[in-house]
Amino acid sequence: MNAKYKVFFEAKIWRLFLFMITLDPAILNRVLKPARYTGNELNSVKKDHATVDVTVALALPDVYEVGMSNLGLKILYQILNNRPDTAAERVYAPWVDMEAEMRAHQIPLFTLESLKPVREFDVVGFSLQYEMSYSNVLNMLDLAGIPVLTAERTEQDPLIVGGGPCTFNAEPAANFFDCFILGEGEEIIEDMVGVVASWKQSGKVDGRVGLLKKLAQIEGMYVPSLYDVTYHADGTVAQVVPNCTEASKVVRKRVVKDLNKVEYATRPVVPYLDIVHDRIMLELFRGCTRGCRFCQAGVLYRPVRERTTETLLKLAHELVDSTGYSEISLTSLSSADYSCLPEVVQSLIDELKNKGVSISLPSLRIDSFSVELAQKLQQVRKSGLTFAPEAGTQRLRDVINKGVTEKNLEDSVRAAFQAGWSSVKLYFMMGLPSETDEDVLGIADLAYRVLDIYKEVKGRRGAKVTISVACFVPKPHTPFQWYGQNMSDEFERKQRLLRAKLGDRNISFNWHDARTSFLEGAFARGDRRLGQVLLTAWKNGARFDGWSEYFKYNVWIEAFAAANIDPHFYATRERNEDEVMPWDHLSSGATKEFLAREYKNALGETLTTDCRRGQCTACGVCPELDVKVIDWGNQA
Amino acid sequence: MAKLRFEITKGEEIRYISHLDYASAIERAIIRAKLSAAYSEGFNPHMKISFASALAVGVTSQAEYMDLELLEEIELPQVVKRLVGTLPPGIQVKKAKYVTGKAPALMAIVNLATYDVIVPFAGAAEFDAVAESIRQFNEAGEVLFVRHTPKGRKEIEVKQYMAKPVVANVKEQAVHMQIEIKITAGGSIKPGEILEVLVNMFGLKVERDSALINRTGLYVTDAKNQVAPIDM
Repeated sequence: MNAKYKVFFEAKIWRLFLFMITLDPAILNRVLKPARYTGNELNSVKKDHATVDVTVALALPDVYEVGMSNLGLKILYQILNNRPDTAAERVYAPWVDMEAEMRAHQIPLFTLESLKPVREFDVVGFSLQYEMSYSNVLNMLDLAGIPVLTAERTEQDPLIVGGGPCTFNAEPAANFFDCFILGEGEEIIEDMVGVVASWKQSGKVDGRVGLLKKLAQIEGMYVPSLYDVTYHADGTVAQVVPNCTEASKVVRKRVVKDLNKVEYATRPVVPYLDIVHDRIMLELFRGCTRGCRFCQAGVLYRPVRERTTETLLKLAHELVDSTGYSEISLTSLSSADYSCLPEVVQSLIDELKNKGVSISLPSLRIDSFSVELAQKLQQVRKSGLTFAPEAGTQRLRDVINKGVTEKNLEDSVRAAFQAGWSSVKLYFMMGLPSETDEDVLGIADLAYRVLDIYKEVKGRRGAKVTISVACFVPKPHTPFQWYGQNMSDEFERKQRLLRAKLGDRNISFNWHDARTSFLEGAFARGDRRLGQVLLTAWKNGARFDGWSEYFKYNVWIEAFAAANIDPHFYATRERNEDEVMPWDHLSSGATKEFLAREYKNALGETLTTDCRRGQCTACGVCPELDVKVIDWGNQA
Repeated sequence: MAKLRFEITKGEEIRYISHLDYASAIERAIIRAKLSAAYSEGFNPHMKISFASALAVGVTSQAEYMDLELLEEIELPQVVKRLVGTLPPGIQVKKAKYVTGKAPALMAIVNLATYDVIVPFAGAAEFDAVAESIRQFNEAGEVLFVRHTPKGRKEIEVKQYMAKPVVANVKEQAVHMQIEIKITAGGSIKPGEILEVLVNMFGLKVERDSALINRTGLYVTDAKNQVAPIDM
């Protein structure tokens, strides 16, 4: 074909192709990073919808670069697309510029594979990683032309499903979701597709309610509309009870018993754009039982289950071959705790070095083992090591059960400096239970101590220390779920206190916005009544609340006022020990007694050991869910 | 060491990716194809791959050129077969050959780029008005354009980069243009920028945002010859 005609022909095709969603080049030429919306990435799976029984849109309510970095969705994408009867596609939140274009040109939210409108799918599954992404869920539903409220949806609308850590207190989002998946998705997602397929084949018997009642019978599936919530006069929850026989009193999370036997994301979609985690993610194990008392993930993903070394090496090779990535990140909640880490690392280095593949560890434990390992991984750029002491004094680290001593930190930092690193990043929280000003100032003392150690090692100044201090937000299903979060002005006072003491120009100090943390706190431990606040705030323009440039605090505060709800009731109020929590009917397997015991241990500054290799701490997960710890170091 | 030269495309599927994204997509394809590419030395090794000229977001191409160094020579049909099997949608291999190790860098020799631009009319199609705008641009002695970048503003004289007069035709509510642009050591100009000049300074009434730009060729030229780098 003559060159000129070829161009013309292609241009025509493009127009026709896009006619389905009426997206035109003028729009793509105007928006930032248009490749966020055009798909065609390697390993993306395009199926003819006429040949499948169920279509699923997998969504993450944030921008493409964030959404594409989520490991859980990559796994579900592969599991669903492995089924001949199912097509799974991806959709993320359009950035504000694209949203404006879509609204101006009546372009409905579409998936990246088929460019079909999301509302034509059978199921839309949202991964809920962070409470501050709820407004984006509502916005995406609205852009899709799907009623945001469950109660207003008909049989023609998709089933709206939520997954991810936020579902363990999904109550603030309960009015917007048809159902939630608690726990790990590998197995339950297939159960769900099966139910949807047979409901469709049966001619959608009993309509939407019929479907929801069938779904409610799947272990780990929570259908909020099948539960009624009553409240005491003081505003606390009286009870949450099923309103039909299909819903069980307590919904327990799903857990994969053996990670070696489930599918992994070995053929992930490889983006063109540079995304947040633009590398192979090799998940060593799931769960972490170090027992840090602030940590929600530590409870939700119990128990520890390791993959075998053989499985990991096999997965690594498959991933390099299917993606062409030249970096593998060994991910887990605490990767350095993997029992056979030195062997795995050595094998990966030996087998993949000649392919130009490097290995990295996202998080380091505070010990010299981790520093040696980092050295072995030849992170030679010495860009900086990151440690998380979490609190500034030994007393407070004991309160949170962070089993790390000042000496551990000193030894690690010294080892790092001796190995050639010169910059260290330290993560802390402020506002932890029982915290005093002395604890806050302890953060500064540690920062100075690190500078001194560098001088001891190198004989001169020159270290760079970055101190990042988050505002502690108590989360459900943790020992601190009863604790009243610090007020915003208290956080700000502590930030000023600390900043005044961090005068050295070799120390840089980052802190979190206290007001964002305040709202996160209200939604983290909120109940169903917050649905009204969320709806109002979204209608008044709230979206991308996790992005500081778009966070509109006043919109939220006005939405609380309009609903006559005090956010302090949820965020900063200390709960009574016997109070019914809005999430008590949603079980991670860990008992409330265990959490309460741990809260008492915290205030008594008593440490609890890791059950992974030590004594069982009777959290309840293993007997409750019929699972067990899998740690290959234990078996040897 | 063996040095390969490829003629490849950037198709509609990936029109909106950047040059950097395009380059890393190809690097990943080379790794998947197990072509044993050579890497630079140092702490942060880079694949020894180089391109003739960067292509902007939103622009397709039917003739991009890249050089790739391999640790050992593999039979050419094998190389092509393996790479074709791993390239993502939108990148086709049109030609490939081994070049001598001393062949000068593509970037240094390519000095002409040709483009097709299709852009719809803003309002009713007026052929005479289009012809007049294009004629005035072609006949102008000097045209100053201000380029705004994150680093600041820079004034550029456009006509010094025009290898030939712009040719324009009208077809089905759209203006079709052929533009030939010189690439010099001192810089060049983008086809989108020429379109901007035509719209803002010469009264061309088109929907500039809707333009579809396609690079039709990259060449090495001198007084007598015009040849694609793969045909040298």
